[in-house]
Amino acid sequence: MAGRQIRVNINGTDHQAIVEPRLSLADFLRHELGLTGTHIGCEHGVCGICNVLIDGRSMRSCLLLAVQVDGRSVETVEGLAEGEKLHPIQEAFMDEQGLQCGFCTPGFIMSLKELLDRNPNPSEDEIKDVLGGSICRCTGYAGILRAVQSAVAKMGGGRPSLLD
Amino acid sequence: MAVDIPKSFEELPTSAPRHIGRGRRRIEDPALLTGRTQFIDDVELPRMLHCAILRSPFAHARITGIDTQEAEALPGVVAIVTGEDALRWSHPAQSSPEGWGTHCLATDAVRYVGEPVAAVAAISRYVAEDAMELITVEYDPLDVVADPAAAMKADSPLVHAGQGTNVMMDRVFTWGEVEQAFEKADCVVSEEFRWNRMGANPTETFGCICEWDPLDLSLTIRGSIQSPSMFGLGRAATFALPSNKVNIISQPHGGSFGGKGGTRGTDVTCLLSRKADGRPVKWIEDRVEYLTAGGSQAWDRYYSASIAVRNDGIVTGLRVALVDDLGATGEAYGAICAAKPLAAFTGPYTIPVAEYDLKLVATNKVPSGPYRGMGPPPHFFVLEQLMDLAARQLGIDPAEFRRKNFIPKDAFPYMIPSGNEYDSGDYEEVLNQALALADYPALRSAQAEARKEGRLVGIGVASAIEPGVFDWNAYAIVGMPGTGVPEGATVSIDIMGFITVRVGFSLEGQGQYTLVSQLVSDYFGTDPEMVRVVYLDTQSAPPSFGPGGSRLGVAITGAVLGACDRIRTKASQVVAGLMQTEPENIVLRDGQFGIPGVPEAQMSVAEVAGTMLARSDLLPPDVDPRPEATHVWTAAGRTPADEEGRAKSYLTAAQAVHVVQVEIDRETGFVEIQRYCLADDCGTRLNPATVEGQTDGSVAQGIGAALLEEYSFDSDGQPQTTTFMDYLMPTVYEVPTVEKVAVVTPSPFTPLGAKGCGEGAIHTTPAAVLCAINDALAPLGQMAREVPAAPKRLWDLIRLAEDTSAEGSRTG
Ligand code: FES
Ligand code: FES
Repeated sequence: MAGRQIRVNINGTDHQAIVEPRLSLADFLRHELGLTGTHIGCEHGVCGICNVLIDGRSMRSCLLLAVQVDGRSVETVEGLAEGEKLHPIQEAFMDEQGLQCGFCTPGFIMSLKELLDRNPNPSEDEIKDVLGGSICRCTGYAGILRAVQSAVAKMGGGRPSLLD
Repeated sequence: MAVDIPKSFEELPTSAPRHIGRGRRRIEDPALLTGRTQFIDDVELPRMLHCAILRSPFAHARITGIDTQEAEALPGVVAIVTGEDALRWSHPAQSSPEGWGTHCLATDAVRYVGEPVAAVAAISRYVAEDAMELITVEYDPLDVVADPAAAMKADSPLVHAGQGTNVMMDRVFTWGEVEQAFEKADCVVSEEFRWNRMGANPTETFGCICEWDPLDLSLTIRGSIQSPSMFGLGRAATFALPSNKVNIISQPHGGSFGGKGGTRGTDVTCLLSRKADGRPVKWIEDRVEYLTAGGSQAWDRYYSASIAVRNDGIVTGLRVALVDDLGATGEAYGAICAAKPLAAFTGPYTIPVAEYDLKLVATNKVPSGPYRGMGPPPHFFVLEQLMDLAARQLGIDPAEFRRKNFIPKDAFPYMIPSGNEYDSGDYEEVLNQALALADYPALRSAQAEARKEGRLVGIGVASAIEPGVFDWNAYAIVGMPGTGVPEGATVSIDIMGFITVRVGFSLEGQGQYTLVSQLVSDYFGTDPEMVRVVYLDTQSAPPSFGPGGSRLGVAITGAVLGACDRIRTKASQVVAGLMQTEPENIVLRDGQFGIPGVPEAQMSVAEVAGTMLARSDLLPPDVDPRPEATHVWTAAGRTPADEEGRAKSYLTAAQAVHVVQVEIDRETGFVEIQRYCLADDCGTRLNPATVEGQTDGSVAQGIGAALLEEYSFDSDGQPQTTTFMDYLMPTVYEVPTVEKVAVVTPSPFTPLGAKGCGEGAIHTTPAAVLCAINDALAPLGQMAREVPAAPKRLWDLIRLAEDTSAEGSRTG
C-alpha cells in the first residue's frame, strides 16, 4: 500500500514519517514510534484507554488514522513527567491509589489533563463527564475520584465538591 | 530446619513504626504512570511475526474444505496453520471434567462461534488480517444446541458426537440427613433462579509471543499470563514436551480476574511459530475476539434451590440444584467454578445439612471459565434470596434473620457440612458495624415514607463468605488432582547489604510487590524503596502459582517471611561465631544482629552479609555462606477430599455484610443505587489501602454483575454482545461511593493472621443488590429471579404487577 508522508509534533518533538493510510494513530504511536504508554482496550472507541491529546483535545487514538494528525500536535503519557519529576496528575494517582493494574491509567490521565488545563476548578458534573468516557475494570473509580481531587489541589485549583 | 513465621505484626523483629499494616505509595506505580511498564503488546522481538486467527461464524458445523492458497501467495505471509497442523503437532486441550477438550484449531467440526479454524503469521497484523480474508472455508451447518435444558434431552444434537451425551457430569452430593431436615421443617422456601453468563473483561485482553525452538524442541512463551506454572504445564501436555522444555515469561498485565484465558490462542500461535521455523509470533487478542471467544465467560447457570426453616427462624437445611452450561468444551475450567461453592456452601450460617445436585452440560457456546470469586457469587445470590424469602414469610427483619443463623464467634474453627473448615470470625460484630454505618433503622423509616409515595425503594442486607487461599482439593469432584498450592520466594542480601526478592509472578494490579517490600523492610530494618522485587520466569522461579483464589497476599507473606527467617538462622550462626556465643543467644531486631543488652555486641544486616560473602576466613566451619534463602510456603493441615467431596480446602474464610439501598424507576425499570455500606473482616490487613482498593473494585464488578453485564446468544448460538457497546461495563456513573468499615479477626492459621481478600466484595454485592431490588419489588408481589436485573427485566415485572392489580380491580 502506498505510503503518505505526515509531519506531526509529538510531545514537543517534530516527526516526519511515511505511513500507510490505514494505519491507526494508536498503532503509529505504539509500533512505529515505540510510544507504548498509550494502551489499547477495545479498538472500537468505547473504553477511552487509548486517549491522547490532539492539539490539546483528548481523542481516541484507536479511532483516528495516523494521516489525520498530519500537521497537528499530539501529547501522550510519555510527555508528562519531566525527568524524574512526575506531573501533578501522575503524583495524585500515586498518592490516592488511583490505579491498580495501571493499564487504563494513561487514558484517564490524558483526558484529565485536558480537563484541568482548561478548567483548574471543575465541578462534580464536569469531572464525571470526563471520567464517564473511560472504563477502569480494577479500581471501581473511587481511587480515581480521589486522585482528581488531589490533582486539582496540587495544580492550584479549588476544592471540588465531589468528595466533601 | 524449623522455620518460624510470625503470626502477628508484633512478632516481627522491628520496634515500629512498621511499614506493614499501613497503606503507602506503591513501588510499582512510577513505571505504570509514565507508560514505561512493558505489557505484552509493548514487547518486540527480532524477526517477530504477527498472528491473526480466522474463526468460525457458525455455532455448529462440519468443515468440508479449507483453501489457503490465495492467502499463502500474499506478500508478507510466512505461515498458515489449520486443523491439519493441530492434528500433526498437538494434542487436544486438557479439560475438566477430563476428556472434553479439543484441538486448538477445529479438525473436523466447529462447536461454537469464534472457534479458531485457521491462523496466519505475517510481517504485520495488518497483512495477517488481509490474508485471513483470502482463506475460504466451506461449512456444512449442523443442528445447534445453545440451551442446557435442551442439551440434556435424549434427542438433542450432540456437541461431541463421540461422547454420546451432552452431560459432562451429573451427581448429587449429600452432606448429612437432608431428607429428614426438609421433612421436619416448619416451612420450606423454594425458588428458581437464573444467572446469565458474564465475566472478567480486564482492560487488557490476552496476548502472547510464542517461540518454538526447532533444534532444542522447546517453547518459550511470553504473555499476559495469570498463572504461569499452570499455563506451562498445559502447553507441555498439548505439545507432548517435557515440562522443563516450556518456559513461561509472564509480562505485567492489565488485570485478569481469572479471565485472561488465552490457552487456545497461545497453542495456535505456537503452531505458527513451529511452522515459521521458530520465528517468534505475536498474537494480541482484540476486544471483539475476547468478547466472542475469549477467556471471560463465566457462570451460565440455572438454579433451583430450597431451604428448610423452623418457625423460630433457624435454617435447618439447604438444597441447591445447579445446571451449569459449560459451553463446548471443558478446557477453560468452568467446572471448577461449579465445584468451588463446596468451600463455603452454607455461607456464614450454621445450616447443618446440605445437598448439591450438580449437572455440567455442554452446549454450542464458547467454553466457560473462571471469574473473580470462581463460582460462589451466584451461589450466594441464590442463598441470600432464599434467606430473604424465609424472613419475609416468617415476618422477621432480614438483618435479624441472618443474625439468628450466623455461626457464633466462639464456634471457630467451624466445619461446614460440605467439609471445609472456617478459620475465625465475628459475624455478628460485622453485621452490627454494617447496620450502624448505614444507620439501618433510619434507612427503614425513610423507606416507609417513600413507599407511602408509591416509590419503589428497597434495602438489601446480605452476608457472604469469601474463601481465601485456594487449594486444589476443593475441586476434587471435577477431577482436579492434588492437595496444597506452593508459593516460593527467594530473598537475597548482597555484599553491600541491599536486598532483592525474587518471585514467580508478575504485576497484575494488587500491589503484591509493594507488600513484599514492606515485609522485608520490616524484617531486616530497611526502607521499602530500597528493596528490589524481581520477577522470574517459570524455568528460574521457585515453585509458584501466583495470584488466584484469594491466595497470594497470604501465600507470599509466608514465603517471604519464611525465607527471611532462614537467612536469620544462618546469619545468627555467623554472628554467634564472631561473638563467641551460641546462635540461640543472637537476636535480630531493627536491622541489627546481636546479644540483647550488650550494645557493643551488635552487627548490622549489611555487616553480616558482607562478612558472609567477603570474609570466609571469619566464618565458622560448615556454615552456608550465602545471605540468601528460598522458602516455599503452602497451607498446613489441608486434607484430601472424601467421596462426597469434603475436604479442608480453602485456608481462610473472610466474611462481609453489605447494606444497600436502591430505588427502581417505575417508568423505566432503571435501578439507582442510593447508598452502599459494607463491613468486612478479612483478618489482619497487610496493606489497608490495597485491601480497600480491592474492595472498591470488587463492588464495582459485583454491580456490573447485578445490573449490567451479560453475554447473550440467540437460539442459534450466535453471540449478541461482541463489543463494549453491547456488553455493558460499569462506568463512574453506575458505581456509587462505597462506605466501608473494617472488623479484624486475625486468622489463627496464617502468616500475620491475614485472610485472603483479593476476590472480596463480589461474593456479596450481587446478592445484596438483588436483595434490595426484591425488597423494593415486594409490595408489588414481584421478585427478580434473573441476574443481571437489567431495566427491561424489572420493567416487565412492574408491568406484570400493574396488569395483575388492574385485573384484580376489574374482577374485584
Ligand atoms: S481502545 Fe480506543 S476507545 Fe478503547
Ligand atoms: S487500573 Fe486496571 S483497568 Fe484501571
